[in-house]
Amino acid sequence: MRMASANSIAQSLDNPIPARAGIGLKAQHYAEIAERHPDAIGWLEIHSENYCGAGGPPQNWLHALREYYPVSMHGVGLSLGSAGPLDHKHLRRLYELAERIEPHLVSEHLSWSTANGDYLNDLIPLPYTEESLDVFCRHVDEMQDALKRRILIENPSAYMRYAHSPIPETEYLLAVCARTGCGILLDINNIYVSAHNLGLDAHAYIDAIPAHLVGEIHLGGHHDAEVDGGGILKIDNHGSRVRDDVWALYERAIARFGPKSTLIEWDSDVPELDVLLDEAGRANAILARHTPDGEIALYQDERTENARVPHTHLG
Amino acid sequence: MSRTPTLAELQTAVRNTVLGASSDALAGVIAGDGLGHAARLDVYRNNTTLLLREALAANFPVVSELVGEDFFAQLARAFLRGHPPSSPCLFEYGEAFPDFIASDPAAAELPYLPDVARLEWAWNEAFHAHNTPALTASALGTVAPEDYPHLVFAPHPALRMVSSPYPIYTIWALHQPDADPDATVDLAQGGETVMVTRPETNAQVCVTSTGAAIFTDRLRAGENLADAFAMAAEMDPAFDGGAVIAQLLTQGALATFDLV
Repeated sequence: MRMASANSIAQSLDNPIPARAGIGLKAQHYAEIAERHPDAIGWLEIHSENYCGAGGPPQNWLHALREYYPVSMHGVGLSLGSAGPLDHKHLRRLYELAERIEPHLVSEHLSWSTANGDYLNDLIPLPYTEESLDVFCRHVDEMQDALKRRILIENPSAYMRYAHSPIPETEYLLAVCARTGCGILLDINNIYVSAHNLGLDAHAYIDAIPAHLVGEIHLGGHHDAEVDGGGILKIDNHGSRVRDDVWALYERAIARFGPKSTLIEWDSDVPELDVLLDEAGRANAILARHTPDGEIALYQDERTENARVPHTHLG
Repeated sequence: MSRTPTLAELQTAVRNTVLGASSDALAGVIAGDGLGHAARLDVYRNNTTLLLREALAANFPVVSELVGEDFFAQLARAFLRGHPPSSPCLFEYGEAFPDFIASDPAAAELPYLPDVARLEWAWNEAFHAHNTPALTASALGTVAPEDYPHLVFAPHPALRMVSSPYPIYTIWALHQPDADPDATVDLAQGGETVMVTRPETNAQVCVTSTGAAIFTDRLRAGENLADAFAMAAEMDPAFDGGAVIAQLLTQGALATFDLV
Protein backbone atom coordinates (compact mmCIF):
# COMPACT_ATOMS: atom_id res chain seq x y z
CA MET A 1 0.00 0.00 0.00
CA ARG A 2 1.34 3.41 -0.93
CA MET A 3 0.63 6.43 1.14
CA ALA A 4 -2.17 8.22 -0.66
CA SER A 5 -2.73 11.92 -1.09
CA ALA A 6 -6.00 13.47 -0.01
CA ASN A 7 -7.19 13.70 -3.59
CA SER A 8 -6.44 10.13 -4.50
CA ILE A 9 -8.32 8.98 -1.39
CA ALA A 10 -11.31 11.04 -2.41
CA GLN A 11 -11.32 9.59 -5.89
CA SER A 12 -10.35 6.00 -5.25
CA LEU A 13 -13.09 3.44 -4.93
CA ASP A 14 -10.70 0.58 -4.33
CA ASN A 15 -9.10 1.86 -1.15
CA PRO A 16 -11.04 4.84 0.10
CA ILE A 17 -10.14 4.46 3.77
CA PRO A 18 -6.78 3.59 5.36
CA ALA A 19 -5.97 -0.11 5.75
CA ARG A 20 -5.78 0.35 9.50
CA ALA A 21 -8.05 -0.26 12.44
CA GLY A 22 -11.10 1.92 13.05
CA ILE A 23 -13.73 1.80 15.77
CA GLY A 24 -17.48 2.18 15.90
CA LEU A 25 -18.36 5.68 17.15
CA LYS A 26 -20.41 5.66 20.38
CA ALA A 27 -21.98 8.68 22.08
CA GLN A 28 -20.16 7.99 25.35
CA HIS A 29 -16.81 8.40 23.56
CA TYR A 30 -17.51 11.60 21.57
CA ALA A 31 -15.78 14.03 23.93
CA GLU A 32 -12.78 11.80 24.67
CA ILE A 33 -12.05 11.09 21.00
CA ALA A 34 -12.37 14.81 20.19
CA GLU A 35 -9.90 15.62 22.96
CA ARG A 36 -7.34 12.84 22.41
CA HIS A 37 -7.52 12.11 18.68
CA PRO A 38 -6.06 8.67 19.42
CA ASP A 39 -3.54 7.38 16.90
CA ALA A 40 -4.59 3.76 17.32
CA ILE A 41 -7.63 4.49 15.16
CA GLY A 42 -7.34 5.55 11.54
CA TRP A 43 -11.07 6.10 10.95
CA LEU A 44 -14.52 5.94 12.53
CA GLU A 45 -17.66 4.07 11.61
CA ILE A 46 -21.17 5.23 12.43
CA HIS A 47 -24.49 3.47 12.38
CA SER A 48 -26.11 5.75 9.82
CA GLU A 49 -29.55 5.49 11.45
CA ASN A 50 -28.28 7.22 14.60
CA TYR A 51 -27.37 10.34 12.62
CA CYS A 52 -30.51 10.80 10.56
CA GLY A 53 -32.02 13.42 12.87
CA ALA A 54 -32.59 16.97 11.68
CA GLY A 55 -29.82 18.28 13.97
CA GLY A 56 -28.63 18.32 17.56
CA PRO A 57 -25.65 16.95 19.46
CA PRO A 58 -25.14 13.69 17.50
CA GLN A 59 -24.83 15.64 14.24
CA ASN A 60 -22.61 18.27 15.85
CA TRP A 61 -20.19 15.73 17.33
CA LEU A 62 -20.01 13.81 14.08
CA HIS A 63 -19.13 16.96 12.16
CA ALA A 64 -16.45 17.87 14.71
CA LEU A 65 -14.88 14.37 14.60
CA ARG A 66 -15.12 14.26 10.81
CA GLU A 67 -12.48 17.01 10.84
CA TYR A 68 -9.97 14.47 12.14
CA TYR A 69 -11.04 11.09 10.87
CA PRO A 70 -12.36 9.48 7.72
CA VAL A 71 -15.87 8.17 8.36
CA SER A 72 -17.63 5.03 7.18
CA MET A 73 -21.45 5.10 7.07
CA HIS A 74 -22.69 1.67 8.07
CA GLY A 75 -26.43 1.20 7.62
CA VAL A 76 -28.40 -1.25 9.70
CA GLY A 77 -31.92 -0.34 8.67
CA LEU A 78 -32.57 -0.08 4.93
CA SER A 79 -33.52 -3.77 4.71
CA LEU A 80 -32.20 -4.43 1.22
CA GLY A 81 -33.50 -8.01 1.40
CA SER A 82 -37.17 -7.11 1.95
CA ALA A 83 -39.64 -8.43 -0.61
CA GLY A 84 -41.48 -5.11 -0.34
CA PRO A 85 -40.21 -1.77 -1.68
CA LEU A 86 -37.32 0.11 -0.07
CA ASP A 87 -38.19 2.84 2.43
CA HIS A 88 -37.65 5.84 0.16
CA LYS A 89 -37.91 8.34 2.97
CA HIS A 90 -35.05 6.56 4.72
CA LEU A 91 -33.03 6.31 1.53
CA ARG A 92 -33.46 10.07 1.14
CA ARG A 93 -32.18 10.64 4.68
CA LEU A 94 -29.14 8.44 4.00
CA TYR A 95 -28.43 10.49 0.89
CA GLU A 96 -28.69 13.73 2.88
CA LEU A 97 -26.40 12.36 5.61
CA ALA A 98 -23.84 11.34 2.98
CA GLU A 99 -24.03 14.82 1.47
CA ARG A 100 -23.34 16.35 4.87
CA ILE A 101 -20.46 14.17 6.07
CA GLU A 102 -18.89 12.97 2.80
CA PRO A 103 -18.18 9.45 4.04
CA HIS A 104 -15.30 7.41 2.69
CA LEU A 105 -17.33 4.20 2.71
CA VAL A 106 -21.02 3.32 2.76
CA SER A 107 -22.22 -0.17 3.63
CA GLU A 108 -25.34 -2.25 4.29
CA HIS A 109 -26.17 -5.88 5.03
CA LEU A 110 -27.01 -9.07 3.20
CA SER A 111 -30.19 -9.50 5.25
CA TRP A 112 -33.66 -8.07 5.83
CA SER A 113 -35.22 -6.22 8.78
CA THR A 114 -38.58 -4.91 7.60
CA ALA A 115 -41.75 -6.80 6.68
CA ASN A 116 -45.22 -5.36 6.13
CA GLY A 117 -43.81 -1.92 7.03
CA ASP A 118 -42.63 -3.04 10.47
CA TYR A 119 -38.95 -2.60 11.28
CA LEU A 120 -37.80 -5.53 13.45
CA ASN A 121 -34.40 -4.08 14.39
CA ASP A 122 -32.50 -7.26 13.61
CA LEU A 123 -30.50 -8.47 10.63
CA ILE A 124 -32.45 -11.54 9.56
CA PRO A 125 -30.94 -13.89 6.99
CA LEU A 126 -32.42 -14.37 3.52
CA PRO A 127 -33.24 -17.62 1.81
CA TYR A 128 -30.61 -17.80 -0.93
CA THR A 129 -32.85 -18.30 -3.96
CA GLU A 130 -33.05 -16.80 -7.45
CA GLU A 131 -36.16 -14.91 -6.32
CA SER A 132 -34.43 -13.21 -3.37
CA LEU A 133 -31.27 -12.59 -5.43
CA ASP A 134 -33.31 -10.57 -7.95
CA VAL A 135 -34.94 -8.56 -5.15
CA PHE A 136 -31.66 -7.98 -3.34
CA CYS A 137 -29.74 -6.88 -6.45
CA ARG A 138 -32.55 -4.52 -7.46
CA HIS A 139 -32.39 -2.89 -4.03
CA VAL A 140 -28.57 -2.62 -4.08
CA ASP A 141 -28.86 -0.94 -7.49
CA GLU A 142 -31.47 1.44 -6.06
CA MET A 143 -29.27 2.33 -3.09
CA GLN A 144 -26.16 2.84 -5.22
CA ASP A 145 -28.12 4.99 -7.67
CA ALA A 146 -29.63 7.08 -4.87
CA LEU A 147 -26.29 7.65 -3.13
CA LYS A 148 -24.40 7.93 -6.43
CA ARG A 149 -21.66 5.62 -5.17
CA ARG A 150 -20.54 2.07 -4.80
CA ILE A 151 -21.52 0.41 -1.53
CA LEU A 152 -20.21 -2.57 0.39
CA ILE A 153 -22.46 -5.43 1.46
CA GLU A 154 -21.76 -7.26 4.73
CA ASN A 155 -22.13 -11.01 5.18
CA PRO A 156 -24.62 -11.73 7.99
CA SER A 157 -24.37 -13.72 11.18
CA ALA A 158 -27.10 -16.33 11.25
CA TYR A 159 -28.82 -18.48 13.84
CA MET A 160 -30.99 -20.30 11.32
CA ARG A 161 -31.09 -21.26 7.68
CA TYR A 162 -34.06 -21.96 5.46
CA ALA A 163 -34.94 -25.44 4.26
CA HIS A 164 -35.15 -24.02 0.72
CA SER A 165 -31.98 -22.00 0.20
CA PRO A 166 -30.14 -23.71 -2.63
CA ILE A 167 -27.39 -21.12 -3.34
CA PRO A 168 -24.34 -21.16 -1.02
CA GLU A 169 -23.90 -17.80 0.75
CA THR A 170 -20.50 -17.02 -0.79
CA GLU A 171 -21.80 -17.78 -4.27
CA TYR A 172 -24.83 -15.54 -3.61
CA LEU A 173 -22.65 -12.69 -2.31
CA LEU A 174 -20.36 -12.91 -5.35
CA ALA A 175 -23.41 -12.89 -7.63
CA VAL A 176 -24.62 -9.69 -5.95
CA CYS A 177 -21.18 -8.11 -6.52
CA ALA A 178 -21.09 -9.24 -10.14
CA ARG A 179 -24.59 -7.96 -10.94
CA THR A 180 -24.46 -4.64 -9.06
CA GLY A 181 -20.77 -3.71 -8.92
CA CYS A 182 -20.88 -3.46 -5.12
CA GLY A 183 -18.03 -4.65 -2.89
CA ILE A 184 -17.93 -6.77 0.27
CA LEU A 185 -17.67 -5.82 3.91
CA LEU A 186 -16.40 -9.10 5.30
CA ASP A 187 -17.31 -9.66 8.94
CA ILE A 188 -14.92 -12.29 10.29
CA ASN A 189 -16.86 -12.74 13.52
CA ASN A 190 -20.04 -13.33 11.50
CA ILE A 191 -18.30 -16.01 9.45
CA TYR A 192 -17.15 -17.66 12.67
CA VAL A 193 -20.59 -17.40 14.33
CA SER A 194 -22.53 -18.63 11.28
CA ALA A 195 -20.05 -21.46 10.68
CA HIS A 196 -20.66 -22.69 14.22
CA ASN A 197 -24.42 -22.19 14.18
CA LEU A 198 -25.06 -23.66 10.73
CA GLY A 199 -22.22 -26.16 10.47
CA LEU A 200 -20.29 -24.36 7.71
CA ASP A 201 -16.54 -24.26 7.02
CA ALA A 202 -15.15 -20.82 7.95
CA HIS A 203 -11.86 -21.32 6.10
CA ALA A 204 -13.62 -22.36 2.92
CA TYR A 205 -15.82 -19.26 3.22
CA ILE A 206 -12.81 -16.92 3.34
CA ASP A 207 -11.07 -18.82 0.55
CA ALA A 208 -14.11 -18.31 -1.69
CA ILE A 209 -13.91 -14.49 -1.46
CA PRO A 210 -11.64 -12.70 -3.97
CA ALA A 211 -9.38 -10.14 -2.26
CA HIS A 212 -10.19 -7.32 -4.67
CA LEU A 213 -13.87 -7.30 -3.67
CA VAL A 214 -13.17 -6.81 0.05
CA GLY A 215 -13.37 -3.11 0.95
CA GLU A 216 -13.58 -3.45 4.72
CA ILE A 217 -13.41 -6.03 7.50
CA HIS A 218 -15.43 -6.19 10.72
CA LEU A 219 -14.34 -7.75 14.01
CA GLY A 220 -16.56 -7.99 17.07
CA GLY A 221 -17.36 -10.08 20.10
CA HIS A 222 -19.97 -12.81 20.46
CA HIS A 223 -21.26 -14.95 23.29
CA ASP A 224 -22.41 -18.53 23.67
CA ALA A 225 -26.08 -19.08 24.49
CA GLU A 226 -27.49 -22.41 25.58
CA VAL A 227 -30.81 -23.06 23.87
CA ASP A 228 -33.68 -25.40 24.70
CA GLY A 229 -32.43 -28.93 24.17
CA GLY A 230 -28.91 -28.14 25.38
CA GLY A 231 -27.26 -27.00 22.16
CA ILE A 232 -25.10 -23.88 21.94
CA LEU A 233 -25.78 -21.02 19.56
CA LYS A 234 -23.11 -18.36 19.17
CA ILE A 235 -24.78 -14.94 19.39
CA ASP A 236 -23.20 -12.01 17.58
CA ASN A 237 -23.90 -9.30 20.19
CA HIS A 238 -20.82 -7.05 19.81
CA GLY A 239 -20.66 -6.88 23.58
CA SER A 240 -17.17 -8.18 24.40
CA ARG A 241 -13.60 -8.46 23.14
CA VAL A 242 -12.90 -10.31 19.91
CA ARG A 243 -12.39 -14.00 20.70
CA ASP A 244 -8.97 -15.59 20.10
CA ASP A 245 -10.41 -17.99 17.51
CA VAL A 246 -11.77 -15.00 15.59
CA TRP A 247 -8.40 -13.21 15.77
CA ALA A 248 -6.81 -16.34 14.29
CA LEU A 249 -9.39 -16.41 11.51
CA TYR A 250 -8.76 -12.68 10.92
CA GLU A 251 -5.02 -13.20 10.58
CA ARG A 252 -5.69 -15.96 8.09
CA ALA A 253 -7.98 -13.62 6.14
CA ILE A 254 -5.44 -10.77 6.12
CA ALA A 255 -2.71 -13.18 4.99
CA ARG A 256 -4.99 -14.04 2.05
CA PHE A 257 -6.41 -10.56 1.25
CA GLY A 258 -3.53 -8.29 2.26
CA PRO A 259 -4.15 -5.35 4.63
CA LYS A 260 -7.75 -4.15 4.75
CA SER A 261 -9.48 -1.42 6.75
CA THR A 262 -10.65 -3.22 9.89
CA LEU A 263 -13.39 -2.14 12.25
CA ILE A 264 -13.66 -3.04 15.94
CA GLU A 265 -17.42 -3.24 16.61
CA TRP A 266 -18.74 -2.91 20.15
CA ASP A 267 -22.43 -2.05 20.46
CA SER A 268 -23.70 -3.42 23.80
CA ASP A 269 -22.10 -2.97 27.24
CA VAL A 270 -19.82 -0.44 25.57
CA PRO A 271 -16.54 -0.22 27.56
CA GLU A 272 -14.13 2.66 28.08
CA LEU A 273 -12.49 4.02 24.96
CA ASP A 274 -9.11 2.52 25.94
CA VAL A 275 -10.52 -0.99 25.65
CA LEU A 276 -11.56 -0.30 22.06
CA LEU A 277 -8.17 1.29 21.36
CA ASP A 278 -6.49 -1.81 22.74
CA GLU A 279 -8.49 -4.03 20.36
CA ALA A 280 -7.71 -1.61 17.52
CA GLY A 281 -4.01 -1.88 18.41
CA ARG A 282 -4.22 -5.65 18.18
CA ALA A 283 -5.74 -5.41 14.69
CA ASN A 284 -3.07 -2.88 13.66
CA ALA A 285 -0.34 -5.27 14.80
CA ILE A 286 -1.76 -8.01 12.58
CA LEU A 287 -2.13 -5.59 9.67
CA ALA A 288 1.48 -4.47 10.16
CA ARG A 289 2.71 -8.06 10.00
CA HIS A 290 1.18 -8.32 6.53
CA THR A 291 2.27 -4.87 5.30
CA PRO A 292 5.68 -3.97 3.84
CA ASP A 293 7.90 -2.30 6.48
CA GLY A 294 6.89 0.95 8.07
CA GLU A 295 3.93 1.96 5.98
CA ILE A 296 1.34 1.67 8.72
CA ALA A 297 3.43 3.90 10.98
CA LEU A 298 3.94 6.41 8.17
CA TYR A 299 0.21 6.60 7.55
CA GLN A 300 -0.41 7.14 11.23
CA ASP A 301 2.03 10.06 11.44
CA GLU A 302 0.59 11.78 8.41
CA ARG A 303 -3.00 11.01 9.20
CA THR A 304 -4.47 14.38 9.90
CA GLU A 305 -2.95 15.83 6.74
CA ASN A 306 -3.60 12.98 4.41
CA ALA A 307 -6.35 10.76 5.55
CA ARG A 308 -9.32 12.97 4.98
CA VAL A 309 -11.04 14.64 2.11
CA PRO A 310 -11.01 18.46 2.19
CA HIS A 311 -14.31 19.28 3.78
CA THR A 312 -15.20 22.80 2.86
CA HIS A 313 -18.67 23.28 4.29
CA LEU A 314 -17.50 22.64 7.84
CA GLY A 315 -15.53 25.88 7.60
CA MET B 1 -46.63 -23.99 5.04
CA SER B 2 -47.27 -26.83 2.64
CA ARG B 3 -45.12 -25.54 -0.22
CA THR B 4 -42.04 -23.36 -0.50
CA PRO B 5 -43.24 -19.86 0.48
CA THR B 6 -42.51 -16.80 -1.59
CA LEU B 7 -40.07 -14.31 -0.08
CA ALA B 8 -42.95 -12.03 0.94
CA GLU B 9 -44.86 -14.89 2.60
CA LEU B 10 -41.77 -16.06 4.42
CA GLN B 11 -40.92 -12.59 5.71
CA THR B 12 -44.48 -12.04 6.92
CA ALA B 13 -44.39 -15.37 8.79
CA VAL B 14 -41.01 -14.56 10.40
CA ARG B 15 -42.26 -11.07 11.30
CA ASN B 16 -45.33 -12.54 12.99
CA THR B 17 -43.20 -14.96 15.00
CA VAL B 18 -40.69 -12.29 16.01
CA LEU B 19 -43.60 -10.13 17.21
CA GLY B 20 -45.00 -12.90 19.38
CA ALA B 21 -46.96 -15.37 17.24
CA SER B 22 -46.31 -19.11 17.39
CA SER B 23 -43.52 -20.40 15.16
CA ASP B 24 -45.64 -23.37 14.01
CA ALA B 25 -46.20 -21.82 10.58
CA LEU B 26 -42.43 -21.95 10.00
CA ALA B 27 -41.93 -25.63 10.86
CA GLY B 28 -40.38 -27.16 7.76
CA VAL B 29 -39.46 -23.73 6.37
CA ILE B 30 -36.64 -23.12 8.87
CA ALA B 31 -34.12 -25.96 8.98
CA GLY B 32 -33.84 -27.29 12.52
CA ASP B 33 -30.29 -28.60 12.09
CA GLY B 34 -30.40 -30.47 15.40
CA LEU B 35 -31.76 -27.60 17.53
CA GLY B 36 -35.29 -27.23 16.17
CA HIS B 37 -36.77 -24.30 14.29
CA ALA B 38 -38.49 -22.86 17.38
CA ALA B 39 -35.24 -22.51 19.36
CA ARG B 40 -33.61 -20.77 16.41
CA LEU B 41 -36.49 -18.35 15.89
CA ASP B 42 -36.45 -17.62 19.63
CA VAL B 43 -33.05 -15.96 19.14
CA TYR B 44 -34.56 -13.51 16.66
CA ARG B 45 -37.63 -12.88 18.83
CA ASN B 46 -35.39 -12.26 21.85
CA ASN B 47 -33.07 -9.95 19.90
CA THR B 48 -35.93 -7.82 18.62
CA THR B 49 -37.62 -7.68 22.02
CA LEU B 50 -34.42 -6.79 23.86
CA LEU B 51 -33.13 -4.24 21.35
CA LEU B 52 -36.45 -2.43 20.96
CA ARG B 53 -36.89 -2.37 24.74
CA GLU B 54 -33.42 -0.82 25.01
CA ALA B 55 -34.37 1.74 22.35
CA LEU B 56 -37.49 2.68 24.33
CA ALA B 57 -35.52 2.84 27.58
CA ALA B 58 -33.03 5.17 25.89
CA ASN B 59 -35.86 7.48 24.80
CA PHE B 60 -37.78 7.20 28.10
CA PRO B 61 -35.08 6.83 30.79
CA VAL B 62 -37.13 8.42 33.59
CA VAL B 63 -40.20 6.26 32.89
CA SER B 64 -37.91 3.24 32.90
CA GLU B 65 -36.43 4.24 36.26
CA LEU B 66 -39.82 5.11 37.77
CA VAL B 67 -41.38 1.71 37.05
CA GLY B 68 -38.31 -0.50 37.46
CA GLU B 69 -36.71 -2.94 35.07
CA ASP B 70 -39.29 -5.75 35.21
CA PHE B 71 -42.37 -3.61 34.76
CA PHE B 72 -40.69 -1.59 32.03
CA ALA B 73 -39.83 -4.82 30.19
CA GLN B 74 -43.50 -5.84 30.40
CA LEU B 75 -44.70 -2.43 29.15
CA ALA B 76 -42.13 -2.37 26.37
CA ARG B 77 -42.95 -5.87 25.17
CA ALA B 78 -46.67 -5.16 25.01
CA PHE B 79 -46.01 -1.86 23.23
CA LEU B 80 -43.55 -3.13 20.64
CA ARG B 81 -45.78 -6.05 19.66
CA GLY B 82 -48.69 -3.74 18.96
CA HIS B 83 -46.64 -0.79 17.74
CA PRO B 84 -43.42 -2.02 16.11
CA PRO B 85 -41.29 0.80 14.66
CA SER B 86 -42.09 1.95 11.15
CA SER B 87 -38.71 3.69 10.80
CA PRO B 88 -35.25 2.17 11.30
CA CYS B 89 -34.13 5.36 13.07
CA LEU B 90 -34.85 4.29 16.62
CA PHE B 91 -34.23 7.70 18.16
CA GLU B 92 -37.70 8.44 16.80
CA TYR B 93 -39.30 5.25 18.16
CA GLY B 94 -41.92 5.68 20.86
CA GLU B 95 -44.07 8.65 19.87
CA ALA B 96 -47.14 6.52 20.68
CA PHE B 97 -45.67 5.18 23.95
CA PRO B 98 -47.15 7.88 26.26
CA ASP B 99 -50.69 7.20 24.98
CA PHE B 100 -50.07 3.46 25.22
CA ILE B 101 -49.03 3.85 28.88
CA ALA B 102 -52.19 5.90 29.50
CA SER B 103 -54.33 3.11 28.05
CA ASP B 104 -52.58 0.24 29.85
CA PRO B 105 -54.50 -0.83 32.99
CA ALA B 106 -51.25 -2.16 34.47
CA ALA B 107 -49.91 1.42 34.66
CA ALA B 108 -53.09 2.95 36.11
CA GLU B 109 -51.60 3.12 39.60
CA LEU B 110 -49.09 5.69 38.33
CA PRO B 111 -51.43 8.33 36.83
CA TYR B 112 -48.56 10.81 36.24
CA LEU B 113 -46.61 8.30 34.13
CA PRO B 114 -48.11 9.21 30.69
CA ASP B 115 -47.30 12.91 31.21
CA VAL B 116 -43.76 12.14 32.36
CA ALA B 117 -43.44 10.09 29.16
CA ARG B 118 -44.78 13.08 27.15
CA LEU B 119 -42.12 15.27 28.74
CA GLU B 120 -39.42 12.74 27.81
CA TRP B 121 -40.70 12.55 24.24
CA ALA B 122 -40.61 16.36 24.05
CA TRP B 123 -37.01 16.27 25.31
CA ASN B 124 -36.13 13.64 22.70
CA GLU B 125 -37.66 15.68 19.88
CA ALA B 126 -35.89 18.82 21.08
CA PHE B 127 -32.58 16.94 21.23
CA HIS B 128 -32.79 15.93 17.55
CA ALA B 129 -34.38 19.12 16.22
CA HIS B 130 -32.82 21.18 13.44
CA ASN B 131 -29.79 23.37 14.30
CA THR B 132 -31.60 26.67 13.83
CA PRO B 133 -30.04 29.75 15.49
CA ALA B 134 -32.19 31.08 18.33
CA LEU B 135 -33.59 34.62 18.28
CA THR B 136 -31.62 36.92 20.61
CA ALA B 137 -32.84 39.81 22.73
CA SER B 138 -30.51 42.16 20.89
CA ALA B 139 -32.00 41.21 17.50
CA LEU B 140 -35.44 41.97 18.90
CA GLY B 141 -34.12 45.28 20.24
CA THR B 142 -34.28 46.73 16.72
CA VAL B 143 -38.10 46.78 16.90
CA ALA B 144 -39.72 50.06 18.00
CA PRO B 145 -41.98 49.66 21.07
CA GLU B 146 -45.04 50.92 19.20
CA ASP B 147 -44.62 48.00 16.76
CA TYR B 148 -44.61 45.30 19.48
CA PRO B 149 -48.32 44.42 19.08
CA HIS B 150 -47.65 43.58 15.40
CA LEU B 151 -44.80 41.12 16.08
CA VAL B 152 -45.19 37.54 14.91
CA PHE B 153 -42.64 34.90 15.90
CA ALA B 154 -41.52 31.59 14.44
CA PRO B 155 -40.79 29.27 17.38
CA HIS B 156 -37.44 27.47 17.39
CA PRO B 157 -37.83 23.91 15.99
CA ALA B 158 -36.73 22.46 19.36
CA LEU B 159 -39.48 24.20 21.38
CA ARG B 160 -42.00 21.88 23.08
CA MET B 161 -44.51 22.58 25.85
CA VAL B 162 -46.07 19.92 28.08
CA SER B 163 -48.79 20.68 30.65
CA SER B 164 -49.90 18.22 33.29
CA PRO B 165 -52.15 18.10 36.38
CA TYR B 166 -49.16 16.39 38.03
CA PRO B 167 -45.78 17.88 39.07
CA ILE B 168 -43.98 16.38 36.08
CA TYR B 169 -40.98 18.70 36.20
CA THR B 170 -40.35 17.88 39.85
CA ILE B 171 -40.66 14.15 39.16
CA TRP B 172 -38.43 14.37 36.09
CA ALA B 173 -35.79 16.45 37.89
CA LEU B 174 -35.59 13.90 40.72
CA HIS B 175 -34.45 11.31 38.21
CA GLN B 176 -31.66 13.32 36.61
CA PRO B 177 -28.03 12.38 37.30
CA ASP B 178 -27.39 15.50 39.41
CA ALA B 179 -30.54 15.12 41.57
CA ASP B 180 -30.45 15.04 45.37
CA PRO B 181 -30.98 11.33 46.17
CA ASP B 182 -32.89 12.21 49.37
CA ALA B 183 -35.37 14.62 47.76
CA THR B 184 -39.01 13.58 47.47
CA VAL B 185 -42.04 14.81 45.56
CA ASP B 186 -45.52 15.55 46.90
CA LEU B 187 -48.05 14.61 44.22
CA ALA B 188 -50.58 16.89 45.93
CA GLN B 189 -48.45 19.96 45.12
CA GLY B 190 -50.40 20.41 41.89
CA GLY B 191 -49.67 20.42 38.18
CA GLU B 192 -46.72 21.84 36.25
CA THR B 193 -46.20 23.12 32.72
CA VAL B 194 -42.74 22.62 31.27
CA MET B 195 -40.92 24.21 28.38
CA VAL B 196 -38.33 22.10 26.54
CA THR B 197 -35.76 23.86 24.35
CA ARG B 198 -32.21 23.40 23.14
CA PRO B 199 -30.57 26.74 23.84
CA GLU B 200 -26.96 25.60 23.46
CA THR B 201 -25.58 22.13 23.08
CA ASN B 202 -28.19 20.10 24.89
CA ALA B 203 -31.94 19.95 25.44
CA GLN B 204 -33.16 21.75 28.58
CA VAL B 205 -36.34 21.55 30.62
CA CYS B 206 -37.71 24.41 32.72
CA VAL B 207 -40.97 25.18 34.46
CA THR B 208 -43.22 27.74 32.90
CA SER B 209 -46.85 28.85 33.21
CA THR B 210 -49.99 27.57 31.51
CA GLY B 211 -50.31 31.08 30.07
CA ALA B 212 -46.90 30.69 28.42
CA ALA B 213 -48.02 27.39 26.86
CA ILE B 214 -51.20 29.03 25.49
CA PHE B 215 -49.21 32.03 24.31
CA THR B 216 -46.68 29.90 22.36
CA ASP B 217 -49.52 27.84 20.87
CA ARG B 218 -51.04 31.08 19.55
CA LEU B 219 -47.66 32.24 18.20
CA ARG B 220 -47.27 28.89 16.42
CA ALA B 221 -50.68 29.46 14.86
CA GLY B 222 -49.34 32.72 13.42
CA GLU B 223 -51.13 35.20 15.70
CA ASN B 224 -49.44 38.49 16.47
CA LEU B 225 -48.17 39.44 19.90
CA ALA B 226 -51.25 41.48 20.86
CA ASP B 227 -53.72 38.68 20.05
CA ALA B 228 -51.57 35.95 21.62
CA PHE B 229 -51.14 38.07 24.79
CA ALA B 230 -54.88 38.66 25.02
CA MET B 231 -55.72 34.97 24.69
CA ALA B 232 -53.10 33.90 27.25
CA ALA B 233 -54.25 36.58 29.75
CA GLU B 234 -57.85 35.45 29.37
CA MET B 235 -57.02 31.80 30.03
CA ASP B 236 -54.38 32.42 32.75
CA PRO B 237 -55.14 35.44 34.99
CA ALA B 238 -51.56 35.37 36.33
CA PHE B 239 -50.06 35.65 32.82
CA ASP B 240 -47.11 38.06 32.73
CA GLY B 241 -46.34 38.73 29.07
CA GLY B 242 -43.03 40.52 29.64
CA ALA B 243 -41.70 37.72 31.84
CA VAL B 244 -42.78 35.07 29.34
CA ILE B 245 -41.07 36.84 26.42
CA ALA B 246 -37.91 37.15 28.52
CA GLN B 247 -38.03 33.44 29.39
CA LEU B 248 -38.63 32.44 25.76
CA LEU B 249 -35.60 34.49 24.66
CA THR B 250 -33.36 33.19 27.47
CA GLN B 251 -34.29 29.60 26.68
CA GLY B 252 -33.78 29.99 22.94
CA ALA B 253 -37.43 29.17 22.28
CA LEU B 254 -37.90 31.51 19.32
CA ALA B 255 -36.20 31.52 15.93
CA THR B 256 -37.27 34.57 13.93
CA PHE B 257 -39.70 37.46 14.05
CA ASP B 258 -41.60 39.53 11.56
CA LEU B 259 -43.93 42.53 11.69
CA VAL B 260 -47.44 42.24 10.25
